[in-house]
Amino acid sequence: MIGSNGEGKSNLLEAVELLGSLRSHRCSSDRDLIQQGQATALVRGLCGGGPGGRGEAGVGAGASQGDALELELRRQGGRQARRNGKLLERQLDLVGPLRCVGFSALDLELVRGEPALRRQWLDRVVLQLEPVYAELLSRYGRLLRQRAQLLRRGLGGAHLADLLDAFDQQMALIGTRLHRRRRRALLRLEPLAAAWQRHLSGGNEQLLLHYQPGTVLEGEEAEAPWREALAWQLRQQRDSELRLGQCGVGPHRDEIQLQLGGQPARRYGSAGQQRSLVLALKLAELELIRQLWGEPPLLLLDDVLAELDPTRQQLLLEAVGQGEGYQCLVSATHLGSFSDDWSKTSQVIRVEKGLIGA
Amino acid sequence: MTCEIPLSGFTRPLARLIDQFERLPGIGPRTAQRLALHLLRQPEEQIHSFADALLAARSQVGQCQSCFHLSAEPLCEICRNQERHTGILCVVADSRDLLALERTREYKGQYHVLGGLISPMDGVGPELLHIQPLVNRVDRDQISEVILALTPSVEGDTTSLYLARLLKPFTQVSRIAYGLPVGSELEYADEVTLARALEGRRPME
Ligand SMILES: [Zn+2]
Repeated sequence: MIGSNGEGKSNLLEAVELLGSLRSHRCSSDRDLIQQGQATALVRGLCGGGPGGRGEAGVGAGASQGDALELELRRQGGRQARRNGKLLERQLDLVGPLRCVGFSALDLELVRGEPALRRQWLDRVVLQLEPVYAELLSRYGRLLRQRAQLLRRGLGGAHLADLLDAFDQQMALIGTRLHRRRRRALLRLEPLAAAWQRHLSGGNEQLLLHYQPGTVLEGEEAEAPWREALAWQLRQQRDSELRLGQCGVGPHRDEIQLQLGGQPARRYGSAGQQRSLVLALKLAELELIRQLWGEPPLLLLDDVLAELDPTRQQLLLEAVGQGEGYQCLVSATHLGSFSDDWSKTSQVIRVEKGLIGA
Repeated sequence: MTCEIPLSGFTRPLARLIDQFERLPGIGPRTAQRLALHLLRQPEEQIHSFADALLAARSQVGQCQSCFHLSAEPLCEICRNQERHTGILCVVADSRDLLALERTREYKGQYHVLGGLISPMDGVGPELLHIQPLVNRVDRDQISEVILALTPSVEGDTTSLYLARLLKPFTQVSRIAYGLPVGSELEYADEVTLARALEGRRPME
């Protein structure tokens, strides 16, 4: 998809991402996704393939057995999801026919950026593995916000300790579930990412994905002891929380340390190594989802290809072309930034003023 | 000053009436017009008694002094009913939840209406709710069991856990067992589900 900035390319990719994952990597609130002055937004997509449709999975492919997916967003809140015209009880039930992995310029900061970026990356993977994870994430986020407001507004009065106990109990339970799921997902991603890193570096760079939970957790994962550990640590940090106005333990403090040859890549990796590493992480994500669902997910490359040098473009092209191959939706401002091989194997469409041209 | 756009074509007093209906929850422009036009066709006595009912409800309905359910008397019907058990008390967020539970006909004890849920984001701490009167009541009336019937949201669970801590020194505390899907509202649960939830209540940790 070729078009100048602001013509609607990213919008289109975002719409596909929404249908596939119910999320947008760009905004967290539906209000930002709805056109100004409008009460609702509607995303509708037809995806072909499905189980047995080898290599044909994709948006708009001649869908004989395709699924018509529809997601309606409302300014006043609440969403409606439909599949083949049928209203779904939960929007989560929309996830499945259209698995996708997004890769945008924002992801290039994955290695260098703040820990929150790496948590979001991991969360997106877990969400694909286990859609109910969305419920846990949003519940934990709400607990954090309510807890922070409790302290900021001084609403506890004489019973502040009892109220914090009530929050601790819930956060220990949900926090432990987040820790466990993140750790498990990392364990599955690590061998895949390590293999890609070796491939992309042309040999022997050893990659480790080291989970550093925001709670001190001993031993192998086990729900009860981890929950007790988190509950205990939540209680221990209360004095400092009251001073700093910030809860000091829990999954919102998780870090995923990326190590190359035993050194943190964030600090010691060269710019080129960091780029390759981002690529390796995204490819691992892609492969894990393919392994799990037995079908290649759709890859959305939003304005990112032009940011990669020709060598890495080439490596990416080879990687997504392996086996049955992945369908990719790629956006860019002009064709010139692509290597010839990309241009040759692609169908080119132009996006102008929110419309798709020839 | 309101609504010139959709109500053009209606004479002013009628537009005003439609506008009033539209302010009600769950009523859109079309329904508002239908209701207003319907009222216009009614005999004048009917309109008088409708208007009286509105004003009377507003001026006479307050809260029960004991349980904080809506009531025109100092004590509501449920609190006055001699046939209900006095030793068991069910805590709900608001009167709508109380009515939902009453519809099950399963429960014969007392109620206590909190007037909301703890939600610091919305500026609602415990002291804005009828929590202290609840603790006093449980202590004074020798309540042997308190059932917490609050929506299982973050706010509902926070309120439940908090109340359990406050009330445990005085009584046994249980909460209704949710067969309800996470995120659902108590008010909208059907009677069978609610009745089952009441039966399957569990002591709180
Ligand atoms: Zn009463």
